[in-house]
Amino acid sequence: MKIEKDRKGQELTLTLSGRLDTTTAPTLEQELQQSWNDISTLILELKELDYISSAGLRVILTAQKHMLKQGSMKLRNLSDNVREVFEMTGFADIMTIE
Amino acid sequence: MITVRHLSKKFGETCVLKDVNAEINKGEVISIIGPSGTGKSTFLRCLNLLERPSSGEILINGVSLLSPETDIHLLRRKMGMVFQSFNLFSHLMVVENLMLGPVQLLKLSRQEAYDRSMKLLETVGLTARAYAFPGELSGGQKQRVAIARALAMEPEIILFDEPTSALDPTMVSEVLAVIRKLKEQGLTMMIVTHEMDFARDVSTRIFYMDEGIIFEDGPPEQIFEHPKREKTRAFIHKISLFRFTAESKTLDIYRFNAELEDFCIRHLLNRKQIHNLQLLCEEVLVNLLFPLTEKVELSIGCTDDNRETEITFEYAGQTGNPLENPKPDQELSCKIVQHLAPECNFSTEAGSSRLRFVLKDNNSKVSS
Ligand SMILES: Nc1ncnc2c1ncn2[C@@H]1O[C@H](COP(=O)(O)OP(=O)(O)O)[C@@H](O)[C@H]1O
Ligand SMILES: [Mg+2]
Repeated sequence: MKIEKDRKGQELTLTLSGRLDTTTAPTLEQELQQSWNDISTLILELKELDYISSAGLRVILTAQKHMLKQGSMKLRNLSDNVREVFEMTGFADIMTIE
Repeated sequence: MITVRHLSKKFGETCVLKDVNAEINKGEVISIIGPSGTGKSTFLRCLNLLERPSSGEILINGVSLLSPETDIHLLRRKMGMVFQSFNLFSHLMVVENLMLGPVQLLKLSRQEAYDRSMKLLETVGLTARAYAFPGELSGGQKQRVAIARALAMEPEIILFDEPTSALDPTMVSEVLAVIRKLKEQGLTMMIVTHEMDFARDVSTRIFYMDEGIIFEDGPPEQIFEHPKREKTRAFIHKISLFRFTAESKTLDIYRFNAELEDFCIRHLLNRKQIHNLQLLCEEVLVNLLFPLTEKVELSIGCTDDNRETEITFEYAGQTGNPLENPKPDQELSCKIVQHLAPECNFSTEAGSSRLRFVLKDNNSKVSS
């Protein structure tokens, strides 16, 4: 998995590509913990993410919980595979997806 | 009626039949299925001594086929044989082909042999072709003649070796219909066949042959619906298998995914199927099973039309069903798994546990 960061003021966009699975989820978790403290909007750009497992969902859920306290989080451009996993787990209903 | 004990057959160094044991009763219809080259034909040929067994015993109504005192010709006459290639005499008319055995071996008069032959031609629906030569018949008709010829010897059992394999597909059913009719008349038959649907509905019992033995023996319902052994299952489902040993301490998900993808591509599974397989395996292994065990044997098989993929996880130790009563951190995994594979089966016996899923894909095309 590759993570690209783009910070504009209070808004942080992380563009994820590749696979967010049990081996790569910790990397995203670390990245988030390093950068989520002084932002109000977190955007996860997922167009290039073609795989997500529950390990990745857990990290995203943690991020959502964190961001709700200080602003908001949005997910963008889910690929078909990823969207389907969001739907089957009910994540699609609790996340802001654009 | 026929008892086979510890039958073995070697060709030079190669041991084709290792230890075949069977009991065939009057009125039974036994289909023999199994991969090519496992010795199905050799087994039939040993039964009527077209091949001499290397060791073992064959008893016919209590009389040993292999003992020197036995009148082999008499015993052999009790067994008709129908081959893939029809082996008719091309210079003789159909009815003459049928009369030959009864006249020469059973010493019937020509009239008796003729009457019997015409009656049998009626049974196989070929009265009208009695005076034709084999060359004028279709493949299906030739095979029906070959069956009538076997019947003309009034055998107690008929052995069929792939009776429809050489036929044009349009002619298979007429031959199978004749065999069905013979079953209704109570004839004992053993049939080596690749026609699974036929084997399933005509047989009283199925022998699945593999590894030089009758690997599994049971009623069609068992063999086709609940085979007891993995190899039988794999054969029935025409499954090609992918195997992987996953250990919690050393599992390399990249390698696993790469190998799985390789297998899937070779078997023409589509991207969606590959994705779903990888997701299912990751969730089950990492989140549901590794908390219970360190080592899991995984096997994945796909049917030849690629519509169904079956995934089996096996591990030592008897546990409860990992999908029941999940811990809070396993709920997500359970949801994913149950969504991907609504069909799931858990069993535990003899010190090990097994979790099996079927992934269905209704979009995949039959690969051509
Ligand atoms: N007469 C023979 N001499 C040497 N090898 C043979 C002979 N007949 C069969 N075999 C070998 O025995 C094996 C089983 O053959 P066969 O009984 O025809 O299998 P099946 O009918 O199950 O396809 C094959 O490997 C075949 O090559
Ligand atoms: Mg054969």
